Amino acid sequence: MKKFFSTALAHGLFWQLIGILVGAGLVTGIRATMGLSVTAKFFFTEPAWVLGGFFGVLFFIAGSGAVSDWYKWARGIDTPEHHEDHHTGWEKYLSVSLDHKVIGIQYTVTALVLLSLGGLFALIFRTELAQSQLQFLTVEMQLFGQNGPQLYNTLMSLHGMIMIVSILLGVAGIMNYVVPLLLGAQDMAFPRLNAFSYWIAVPAAVLLVMSLILGGFDTGWTGYPPLSARAPVGMQMFFLGVFTAGWSSILGALNVIVTVVRMRAKGMTAMRMPILVWASVATSIIALTATQLIGLSFQLVMFQRLFGMGFFDPAKGGNPVLFQHLFWFYSHPAVYVFVLPGLGVISELLPVFARKPLFGYRWIAMSSLGIALVGFIVWAHHMFTSGMNEYLRVPFMYSTLLVAIPTGVKFFSWVATIWKGKISYETPMLFVIGAIVVFLMGGLTGPPNATVSTDLHLHDTYFIVGHFHDTIFGGFVFPFFAALYYWFPKATGRRMNETLGKIHFWLMTPSFFVMTLGMMRIGLLGMRRRIADYDPALGFDNTHLVLTIAGFLIAISVCVFMYNFFNSIKNGEKAEGNVWNSRSPEWQVPSPMPAHNYDQPFEVVGEPYDYGLPGSKYVEFIAPSKNTHK
Amino acid sequence: MSHTQDKSSALGQGVVIFVYLAVLTILEYFVAVTFSAVSILVVVAVIKLALVMYYYMHIYKLNEESDSDTHSYSYKTGSNRLGLWLFLLSDAFVFAGLLTVRINLLGLTRPHLNQLLGLGVTAILLISSFFMNRGETLMANGDKKGFINNAIITFVLGLGFLLGVVAVEWPTAASEGLTPGSGAAGAVFYMMTGMHAFHVFTGLIFLLVVINNARKDVYSAEKHWGIEAAAVYWHFVDLVWIIFYPALYLIGKLLA
Repeated sequence: MKKFFSTALAHGLFWQLIGILVGAGLVTGIRATMGLSVTAKFFFTEPAWVLGGFFGVLFFIAGSGAVSDWYKWARGIDTPEHHEDHHTGWEKYLSVSLDHKVIGIQYTVTALVLLSLGGLFALIFRTELAQSQLQFLTVEMQLFGQNGPQLYNTLMSLHGMIMIVSILLGVAGIMNYVVPLLLGAQDMAFPRLNAFSYWIAVPAAVLLVMSLILGGFDTGWTGYPPLSARAPVGMQMFFLGVFTAGWSSILGALNVIVTVVRMRAKGMTAMRMPILVWASVATSIIALTATQLIGLSFQLVMFQRLFGMGFFDPAKGGNPVLFQHLFWFYSHPAVYVFVLPGLGVISELLPVFARKPLFGYRWIAMSSLGIALVGFIVWAHHMFTSGMNEYLRVPFMYSTLLVAIPTGVKFFSWVATIWKGKISYETPMLFVIGAIVVFLMGGLTGPPNATVSTDLHLHDTYFIVGHFHDTIFGGFVFPFFAALYYWFPKATGRRMNETLGKIHFWLMTPSFFVMTLGMMRIGLLGMRRRIADYDPALGFDNTHLVLTIAGFLIAISVCVFMYNFFNSIKNGEKAEGNVWNSRSPEWQVPSPMPAHNYDQPFEVVGEPYDYGLPGSKYVEFIAPSKNTHK
Repeated sequence: MSHTQDKSSALGQGVVIFVYLAVLTILEYFVAVTFSAVSILVVVAVIKLALVMYYYMHIYKLNEESDSDTHSYSYKTGSNRLGLWLFLLSDAFVFAGLLTVRINLLGLTRPHLNQLLGLGVTAILLISSFFMNRGETLMANGDKKGFINNAIITFVLGLGFLLGVVAVEWPTAASEGLTPGSGAAGAVFYMMTGMHAFHVFTGLIFLLVVINNARKDVYSAEKHWGIEAAAVYWHFVDLVWIIFYPALYLIGKLLA
C-alpha cells in the first residue's frame, strides 16, 4: 500500500482532488462576492464544477510528474534523453515512464479496466431490458440524484463513451507497443509527449465517472443539444472528460506519425513497411485532425450552458443541426480510428498463421489510407433524419457507399491470403478469423443504413445498435484480443493459456452473434434504441431475454480472458523465442524486449510478408562492426 | 546547418514581406469599406496566408535534408519541426470549425464592430510578427542580444493585441449591446476572438520562456529550436487572425 502511494497515479489522483476543490472554490468565492448563489443540488454550482473539473486535470498532470521534464526545459535545464525507470515491479506501470513499451502496457491495461467498467454498465441496463416494464431501475428508486429511468439513460450514455475511450486507449496501446518495434526504433519520436498523452487520459476517465455521480445525463453518448443544453451538471463533466481524452488521442496520433516518418530502420521504404504501420498512420491522420471538432462541438455546448452563448439555441439565432455536423465530422471518422488498427492487426497476423505471403500488399496499404480519407466526407449519413438540407442526403449516401470499396479490397486480400494456406488455429488466429467474419457482418449491414430510403426507417432502431456492435467487435474487439494473445509473450516472456484462450473464443463468438443478430431482428421490427422500457405488446420480451443472456455470456468469456491475462503474467508457460514463427523483426530477438529495444539495429532486405517462399528474408541485423551509430 | 542567405538579405526579406502584408491588409480594409467583394477578400487572405507560411514560418524547412545520425541535434530538430507542424494542422481544425460556425450562423452578414479598433489590433499583431521574424533571423546569425530585443518588442506588441481585444474591444462591443448571450452574432464574436486570444496568451508565455532561456545562453546560432518553435507558433497565431479579421470585420452586410 505504501508503494502505491508513491506512484504517479496516486499522486495524480490526490492532486486532481485538490484541483477540483481549488477550481470550484475559486468560482464559488467569486460568486459569493458577486452575490450569486454559491451552492446547488450537487453542492457546488455548475460553473464551479466546470472550473473544478478543468483544474483537476491540470493538477493531475502537474502532480503526476508527467510534465516535470518540460518544466525543466522551460527553465533552461537540460535533461538526459532517456530516463531509466525508477521502479522495477508493478509500480513501474503506475509511474511515469518514457519507455514506449511500458506506456503501451499502461494504455492497454487502462483500456481493459474501462472495458470492464463499460461492460458492467451494459450488463446493468441489459438486465433491466430483459423484460418489459421497469423491474429494478424503477421510477421510485433514487441514486446519485437520479431515478431509475434516468440512471438507465446515464448508464446507457456512459457505456457508449467509456467504451469509446477504452477503444481509443486500446488502439493507442497496440500502436505504442508495437509500432516502434516494427520500425526498429528505440522509442517513439517524442517520449515525453507519449507519457503525457497517456497520463492525461486518466483524469479524463475520472471525469467521465464523475458525470455519473453528479446527476448523470440523458443524451446518449452523442450529447445533442437542445437536450444536452439542459441536462444535469453531469453533462458538463462528460463534455470535459471527452475533451480531455481527445487531447490524449490527438497528441498520441501526432507522435505516431512523426515516429513513422522519421524513425524507420534502414531500408524500410514506404512499400516495405508492415501493414500495421500503414494502418496506424491512417488512423493517426484522422485522430490528429478530426478529433478537434468533437472537442469544439462539446466546448460550444459547454459555453452555451455557462455563458448563454446561443450557438445551438434557435431562440437566439443558433442552429442545433450545426452541432450535429461538427460532432459527426469527428464521430464518424472516429469509427475508422477504432477499426483501422484492428484491420491492420488482421492483415499483420493472417500471413503468420496461414504461412503464405499477404495477398496484394500495396492494395492493402493503400486501402487503409483510402478508408481514412473517404471517412472525412461521409459524416452527414448520421443525419438523414435530422432536418438538414435535403439536397445533402444523396451526395453523402454515395460517399458513404464508397467506403465499401477500400474495405472490400481488404476482404479480398484476406480471403486470398487464407486460400490454400497451411493454417494453424492457435488462439490469435481464431480471433483473427472471428474478426473477419464479424466485421463482414458489420460491413454487410452497413449499406442499408447508408442508403437514404432504408435509413429513414432504420434510424434510431436496434438495427443500428446491432450493426455498430458488429463493426466495432469485428474491427476492434476481436483484433484487440488477437493482438493481446499474439504479443503477450513479447511483453512478458510467457504465453497465455491456449485452452482458456479457446474457451474465451468459443464462448464469446456465438454469444456475440446471437446478441447482434437478435438486436438487428427486433430493430427491424421497430424496437427503438436508447429507451429503458418497451411495450410488452410488441412481443420483444423473449428476444430481449435471449439478448441479455448472450450479453452475460460475453461478460463471462471476458472474465475468462482477464483471469488468463493477469494469471499468465506470472504463471504462464515460458515463451522467450519466436513463438509464432514470425518474420517480423521483434520476434527475431528474445522476449521480453529489453528496455531500449534492439541491441543491434536491423536493415530491411526483403518484403515483409513473404511467408513460405524459400530463402526470402525480411530483416537482417547489422553486425556491431558495420554499425556507424554509437 | 548551412545558411542559404546572408544576414542582411534575410533581414531585408523580412521587411519586404512585411510591406506586402501591410499593403494587402490596407487593400483588404478599403475593399471592404468601399465595395464589399467577398471574392477579393478571400483571394487577399489566401495570398497573405501563403506569404506568412512561406517566408515567416518557412514551411519549406520541413523538406530540409537532415543529418543521418538520428541522435544529432539537427535530426531531432527535423522531427520536432514535423511534430510542430502537425500540431498546428490539428489546431487549425479548431479554427476551421469556428469559421464554419460563423459561416453557418451568420452567413453573409457581420456584427456591428468598431472598424478602427479592428484595423488597429490587426496592425499591431502584424507588426509583432515582423519583429518575431527579425529576432529569429538574428538568432540564426548568432546575435543573441538582437534576438532578445526583438522578442521583447514582439512580446509587448502581442500583449498590446491581447489587451486591445479583451480589455478594449470586448467592453466596447458589450456596451453597444453585443454580449455573449445576446444572440448568434455575439456568441460567434466572443468565441472566435476568445479562442484566438487564448492562443495569443499561450504564445506570450512561450515567448517569455524563450527570452528567459536566451538570457541564460541556452541557444546558439546552430541550436535554437526553442526559438524557432516559438516564432512559428507566433506566426501561426497571426495566420489565424489573417482569416478571422476579415471573417468578423469585413465580410458581408452589417447586421441591423
